[in-house]
Amino acid sequence: MSARSLAPTAPGAPTRFAQTAMVSGEESQTIEPEFRPLDPRVVRLWRLNYLVGFGVLLLMLLAGAVTAVLARPALRPWAALLWCGTAALAGWLSYWRPPRLYRAWGYRIDAQVFETRSGLFFHVSRLLPLARLQHVDLERGPFERIYGLSSLVLHTAGTHSASITIPGLDAGEAVRLRDHLVAIGGDDAV
Amino acid sequence: MQSEAAVFEGRLHPLTLAFAAYTAVRRLILPAIPLLVFSDRRLGPAILGVLFVSALAQALGRYFSFRYRVEGGELVVRQGILERRERHIPLERVQEIRIEQGVLHRLLGVVDAQVDTGGGGGPEATLSVLSRAEAERLQLAVGERVAKVGEAAASPNEAVVVRRLGVGELALSGLTSNHLVSALALAGLLWTLLDDFVSEGALRRGAGAVFGTTRRVYEQDVWSTVALTVLGGALLLLLAVTFSVAGAIVLYYGFTLTLRGDDLGRRYGLLTRRASSLPRRRIQVLEVEEGLLRRFCRLATLRADTVAGRTDGDEPKDQWRGVLLPIVPRAEVEELLPVFLPDLEPGPAEWRQVSRLSVRRGTVKGAAVCALAASASAALQHSAYGLWPLFMLAPLYWVNLRRYRHLGYALGERYFRTRRGWLSRSTHLVPIRKVQEVEVRQNWFDRRLGLATLVVDTAGQAYTGGGPLVTNLPLEEARRLAATLARRAQRGMAHG
Repeated sequence: MSARSLAPTAPGAPTRFAQTAMVSGEESQTIEPEFRPLDPRVVRLWRLNYLVGFGVLLLMLLAGAVTAVLARPALRPWAALLWCGTAALAGWLSYWRPPRLYRAWGYRIDAQVFETRSGLFFHVSRLLPLARLQHVDLERGPFERIYGLSSLVLHTAGTHSASITIPGLDAGEAVRLRDHLVAIGGDDAV
Repeated sequence: MQSEAAVFEGRLHPLTLAFAAYTAVRRLILPAIPLLVFSDRRLGPAILGVLFVSALAQALGRYFSFRYRVEGGELVVRQGILERRERHIPLERVQEIRIEQGVLHRLLGVVDAQVDTGGGGGPEATLSVLSRAEAERLQLAVGERVAKVGEAAASPNEAVVVRRLGVGELALSGLTSNHLVSALALAGLLWTLLDDFVSEGALRRGAGAVFGTTRRVYEQDVWSTVALTVLGGALLLLLAVTFSVAGAIVLYYGFTLTLRGDDLGRRYGLLTRRASSLPRRRIQVLEVEEGLLRRFCRLATLRADTVAGRTDGDEPKDQWRGVLLPIVPRAEVEELLPVFLPDLEPGPAEWRQVSRLSVRRGTVKGAAVCALAASASAALQHSAYGLWPLFMLAPLYWVNLRRYRHLGYALGERYFRTRRGWLSRSTHLVPIRKVQEVEVRQNWFDRRLGLATLVVDTAGQAYTGGGPLVTNLPLEEARRLAATLARRAQRGMAHG
């Protein structure tokens, strides 16, 4: 099975939430909307996250390697090899992974269900009946603010998937989506 | 909704003070020992006295200020003198009222009552201690109010006994439970006892003696060593079995399951009597568990998750709380299910199987493990006889074939069922309106074979071991099923 390609919408296009055509009684025939991608800027955000994270890791490794070499100079070539190898791996990951992760991500919403799909090695598709939505949070980390992005966190009453996070949404888009979800989401006693 | 005057109110039982004193003494024993030994003759007891008196004063304050009442669709609990606390619990949030009695409680005719709502992290309110009659009146009053606020209750005062388990059945339950766990628990218990009561010197001498004798026996005759080991193992197993049986009888003695209106009542326990009432509409998932031994005796255990069972992500501390019926003949499960799930679709379920590729996958996985074990054992023994794990391949294939036959799902109007396992089986029933979220997952192997795993998430999954889950579904079928479940769950809610 080949991976589905996600048709990107033009950046800055207004949000359109598909309506569902209800067929009497039985399963509704939905005009299924296409999966919406995340904001393309999220690739840069993830790269920055990786670089910072790996940077810290490499610094710590460097400190460890230096102490090891000072204690036992014979280890110098091995320590250098290890550190350079890790740095190369980190650099390659930061370059290679974010765009693929971005292509794998998608979400869509209709009148009944909110669906997300994500994952490179482990594909996960999550469907959330909108009446099950408990509440919605907007999160913006410091790096996200630089790129004008934010994350949407949907909380459910489930046990294993108590929250679903959609990262890398354009800030204005995230607010619109949140307002829409709050308006149509349900509150129910379990 | 008519505003009701407070119809039911009460206070704690006077014996609360006695129990508080008892608990305080118990809590102080452990720190008391170092305090008395290591401190001044007068200072140690003085500190203890102060601690004890303050605990008692707290209990006094609580006793005199504690008030509860049921009014206007709420349970209101008030306590505290210096710091007044008032808690309002909407009755429709009350999942369960649990009643517990230790030996001392039973002698004095009082109970501990705990009010559970869906919030997780423990009971919302604890009423300790109440007289037994008061507690039952509270349960009844709350049950009646909830019934009025929620759905209509039928004859709320009539309790129908669904099941009563005798000692023989409980012994059977102990016999067929997971003995390995019991054996380990027993070993752990023995270890701590040994640690506490036997001095280290004696322990070392004892261990040395045991090792010495075993080595002498081994040097004389290999077969007697083998016989000794087998005997030792059999003895341990016998102990574990006795432990299991005794444990089952003590834990579930007099298990009675009743139905009053929409409330399932459970009453059990020999030393600690427990009684809990659980509204059926709170059941999120029901599991029919057939462990290895139980399956071969055609028995099963029924468990359920309610929202009150959530324990903040960790292993649930009290496995027995989710048990609806510890032991029941498998053949009787079908006719019992409508008691727990009143709107279950009648008639046999239409089970659909998954992709046949699951047999191949399971066998390949098992074969890899076999190959690893074979090469390891051959390397260790330096002989071809070490390759015996390879003979496990044929039975492995057969087990996977049986597993495949039993793996599947059944989608009804209101309920979704999944089942899995062959040696030890489990079946899960989910009311579709309780579905919180549906996931379709694929790992790398799934993607290559065009398969997926469907996972249904519900609230409060704690006791049903993994919840509803179907592996090895063809991808398109998994996606369609997920979409159907999600939409039906949504529609179910829209109709309330």
